[in-house]
Amino acid sequence: MSAADTPRGVEWPSDWLRATLGLFALRALSAGPSYGYAIISELERHGFGTVKGGTLYPLLTRYETAGLVSTEWRAGDGGPGRKYFDLTERGHAELARLSADWSRFTQLSTDYLDPERRPKEPSL
Amino acid sequence: MMQQTSDRKWFDELTLELRIRQVHGTAIGDTLASVRELLRDTGQSAEEAFGPAREYADSLDLPAEPKHDWVRKSLWPALLGLLAFLLFSQAIISLVRAEQMLVSPAQLALLLTPAVLILLLPLYIDALMRHVWVLITLGVIASLAGVLSAVVAPTAPAEAWLAVNPFPWVIGSALVMIAQSTVSTIRTFHSASDDDIIDPLARSTSSGTGAKVFVHVTNWLFPIFALAMLGLALALN
Repeated sequence: MSAADTPRGVEWPSDWLRATLGLFALRALSAGPSYGYAIISELERHGFGTVKGGTLYPLLTRYETAGLVSTEWRAGDGGPGRKYFDLTERGHAELARLSADWSRFTQLSTDYLDPERRPKEPSL
Repeated sequence: MMQQTSDRKWFDELTLELRIRQVHGTAIGDTLASVRELLRDTGQSAEEAFGPAREYADSLDLPAEPKHDWVRKSLWPALLGLLAFLLFSQAIISLVRAEQMLVSPAQLALLLTPAVLILLLPLYIDALMRHVWVLITLGVIASLAGVLSAVVAPTAPAEAWLAVNPFPWVIGSALVMIAQSTVSTIRTFHSASDDDIIDPLARSTSSGTGAKVFVHVTNWLFPIFALAMLGLALALN
């Protein structure tokens, strides 16, 4: 059984996740403000495996510095508060740009990997 | 219990690593609170969720003071204070005994050893903060230099390289120490907001009154030692 058949519980090559985590984190925030554990759970639920805090938080910190996300500490109900991350306008624009680029890239990759759809190389 | 202990150690290490990188207190408080939040949610240990503290601090790339800003703000004033104290401690003994201050080259070299160690601090400050044995080694070297300088001190003007009236040196070095401590105290008041680790939820600083008093006492360490030196010289006389 391939990884693609059963995405949940399968560990994808770490390089793949490292390359796409930024885009996926922006996507996870596109529905509204969210916090660290909720983002990790969302990615896990969609079959991308468990992202560690040590990987996610530095990424979000860089996005905050770049102005792609804003942050706010909110008091919790009966417990300590949480740090919420929210996409800024710039973050939304970056998500749209990266999503479009990703679609083109995956289409190109799929075409290349499928011998039937691969364009014929000119013969020498 | 074991996890709490290792997590506490990890948090201490992370704070230290961020301090070494001159990260602002507010950013350190924010980072610590974020880590605590995720650990509560996942039930993981800090090492398990975030990896080694040093690597995590590296990966965050948080806003920080310029790398060697502390040299200008802290190192040069401390070095000036130390040199003034070393001069004062030599001159005060001669003044109390109503003698000339005698100095030999070997004595001068040994007295300047602690100053040279402080001067070279930027080269090994990270190792000093991470490993207590480096601090102990430096303490031993400085103490040995102090003891040996007393051993090689000239006893008669004929043996001395320099023989000067100690009074102006006592007054001059005391004024330098007081001026340096005053400037450091004023700087401490102004830089408190940047240095304090602020919990974003509590909106209060983690360094309490005790820590602030400690910082102010360290600013006046050389004048305090100088007074002790004066008392000792008078008592021995």
